[in-house]
Amino acid sequence: MAESADHLSCQEVVELVTEYLDESLSAEDASLFEQHLNFCEGCVWYVDQLRTTVETVGEIREEQIPPEAKERLLGAFRDWRRS
Amino acid sequence: MAPAQAHPRTALSASEEADLVARLRDGDERAFEALVDRHYGTMLAVARGYVRTRAVAEEVVQEAWLGVLNGIDRFEARSSLKTWIMRIVVNIAMTRGEREARSIPFSAFASEKDEPAVDPDRFRDESDGFPGHWRAYPGNWAAAPDDALLSRETLGVVMSAIHELPPAQRVVITMRDVAGCSSDEVCGTLEVSEGNQRVLLHRARSHVRNALERHLDG
Repeated sequence: MAESADHLSCQEVVELVTEYLDESLSAEDASLFEQHLNFCEGCVWYVDQLRTTVETVGEIREEQIPPEAKERLLGAFRDWRRS
Repeated sequence: MAPAQAHPRTALSASEEADLVARLRDGDERAFEALVDRHYGTMLAVARGYVRTRAVAEEVVQEAWLGVLNGIDRFEARSSLKTWIMRIVVNIAMTRGEREARSIPFSAFASEKDEPAVDPDRFRDESDGFPGHWRAYPGNWAAAPDDALLSRETLGVVMSAIHELPPAQRVVITMRDVAGCSSDEVCGTLEVSEGNQRVLLHRARSHVRNALERHLDG
């Protein structure tokens, strides 16, 4: 994944964050990724921004079914049960 | 109480799911209602990836529930109940989408041109000492006041950023980060590979981060 074998640039790090957070990087890439974070505060903040982004998206509540749509479904359920 | 009433982000165990399926087959209305409450929002979000309007997406979801009831006796637990339900939504939505001349082959989206997560101008180029490294660091959001991130306004920014996304990215980020689905559930629902799923999620999250950065760092 890395262009040079022994280190990642910041520009490479930002493209690997999703894989890093999903823990789907190879052991080798994960180690390069973490080594980079050890000396680059900018990328530590970037990864933190991505985590914050995911948490903020998680604040969105899913839509609830409108009552009349639910009534229609429960009606369909009773019809199905009778059949 | 019924396992189906657990928070939607908590996946059901195999035995809880088997119990729920048995109750549905027995015609247990409460089990059905709990299942509707649990999955309606995700179903609507998935349907909206394939059809043009909210009204049509609502019809798709209604029709999908009839499909669930008519098919529950044949459900064999080869996938989770949730993924099986979402596949029914996708199949109905795709049929509707074709009729509306808007069918979206989701796998096609992952091969569209690669959009970088961050504007390349933010990194040093070859003429600098450290090509590919930040010109100026991104902001330290941990130092931002909590209420700036959690404000209604910020949530509005995030919601519009998601709304602007291409449909496949929008469905993937909504399933993963709003509905709390696993990557397996997303792949099973949309029939995309693990890698494609991650590319779509990565672009979607990067887009939302960019929008948040513009909002927070002004």
